[in-house]
Amino acid sequence: MIFFSTDWAEAVRGAVDAGPDDALRATKLETYWGWIDQARADYGESWALGRCKPDGHTDYLLLRWERGHCVAATVTATPSEATYVLSADAQTWHDLLAGEDTGRIVMYRRLRLERGEVLSFFRIIYFFVESVAAIGRVPATLDA
Amino acid sequence: MDQEVLAGVEKSDLAQIRDLDIDDVIDYVHADLKRLPDYLDLYRRYLRQRWDVYELDFSQDIRDWNTAMTQSERDAFVAISSGFHHGERQVEVELPVFMLGGSEESKIFMSSQIEDEARHTIFFDRFYREVVGLPGESVQEVLDASFHHVSETFVGPFGLLAYLADELRRDPEDPVSRVRYGTTYFLWIEGVLALSVMKITLTYCRNRGFLPGYYAGFTATCRDEARHVQFGMRFLRDSVAEDPRLLREIHETLRTILTINGATSRRIALESLGWSPEEVRRLMIRQLSMKLNDVGIALPPDLQQMVARIEPELAGG
Repeated sequence: MIFFSTDWAEAVRGAVDAGPDDALRATKLETYWGWIDQARADYGESWALGRCKPDGHTDYLLLRWERGHCVAATVTATPSEATYVLSADAQTWHDLLAGEDTGRIVMYRRLRLERGEVLSFFRIIYFFVESVAAIGRVPATLDA
Repeated sequence: MDQEVLAGVEKSDLAQIRDLDIDDVIDYVHADLKRLPDYLDLYRRYLRQRWDVYELDFSQDIRDWNTAMTQSERDAFVAISSGFHHGERQVEVELPVFMLGGSEESKIFMSSQIEDEARHTIFFDRFYREVVGLPGESVQEVLDASFHHVSETFVGPFGLLAYLADELRRDPEDPVSRVRYGTTYFLWIEGVLALSVMKITLTYCRNRGFLPGYYAGFTATCRDEARHVQFGMRFLRDSVAEDPRLLREIHETLRTILTINGATSRRIALESLGWSPEEVRRLMIRQLSMKLNDVGIALPPDLQQMVARIEPELAGG
């Protein structure tokens, strides 16, 4: 699938909506996943995750959540409806797909919050981090 | 508190500091919280207490690490210390934005704290490189080598600090952004997380007689934290005195911090270092409560309940 294509976005929607499989859950304490399950239970915000391209333009993966389910994933040039808008450069996306730790990407501010209330955003941070990690596990071709 | 003991903490040089008891150093952190020295007093204290991280001798630590400590002790020690290794790096790079705002006295003190945090980063770099034996040519490579020891939940408080630093960068004088940042950094990361890790690892070293180089360097680091915490508590107290509406920002920030504190991704064998999770939990609650009480920050009932449910979390900076 081509990165930031419609097909890829739909695969991402399925991956983040499904959450971690049993093998992944087994790598961390169940209380951690329990916290995430609780954080996403009634979650109803939307995230626009931007990819800053070398030509200066940014396109966004827009993920819309309703009652804890990811109900839509689209690629768009404008993140107008998103509650939270974040963006990263092409190298960061490349590293994410190559398996770089998502928490570290956040910590090093390689994925920056451009719009949205910081404190509210962080109240679900591990849900967000694990969702972005799930995006990184969806196979994609970068050089399209 | 015994004034003679506190004076000993105040004046010890790096060679003498290894004889101090960590409990006395933590008492020293809290000794001035009710009075709260001004920023230039703290800066003068920095000039007197600054130490040279390259003077530390880790030769006995290397022997202790390789021959005296058990594998479970080493594992627990590294798991806890890695949160500090990365925490020091994180606060070193996030602090300069806070220095852009505030009074000139505040900026002068901040310059000393940034230098402290850089020195603390080097302390852990030396410890991991020379004692634990992690590979790496550069500071970043040693950080990379220790990262897999860092818990998934580290990104909670330290990612929050990074994003609050971005918010502050847009307007370094904005009182709301400064108080949110100050609550996360000075109150929680330094005042609760860091002091708890110090108490746990340094008590272990002292009780077992292990790692004298680490003990000296980290005790000196703890004494540095006294200045940082006292600066931060004065900043929060003065901010609320100037604009009582900012108390709400302290509360909202604490709500966020305590919400994310509820997640634990890894179990650390604290028992190997002589601690139970319940003891760590009580230690963290005590660290937070002492600071809030001393500077007169009251909590509403919902936050009091969240404080009572604090989960053990081990990192610092």
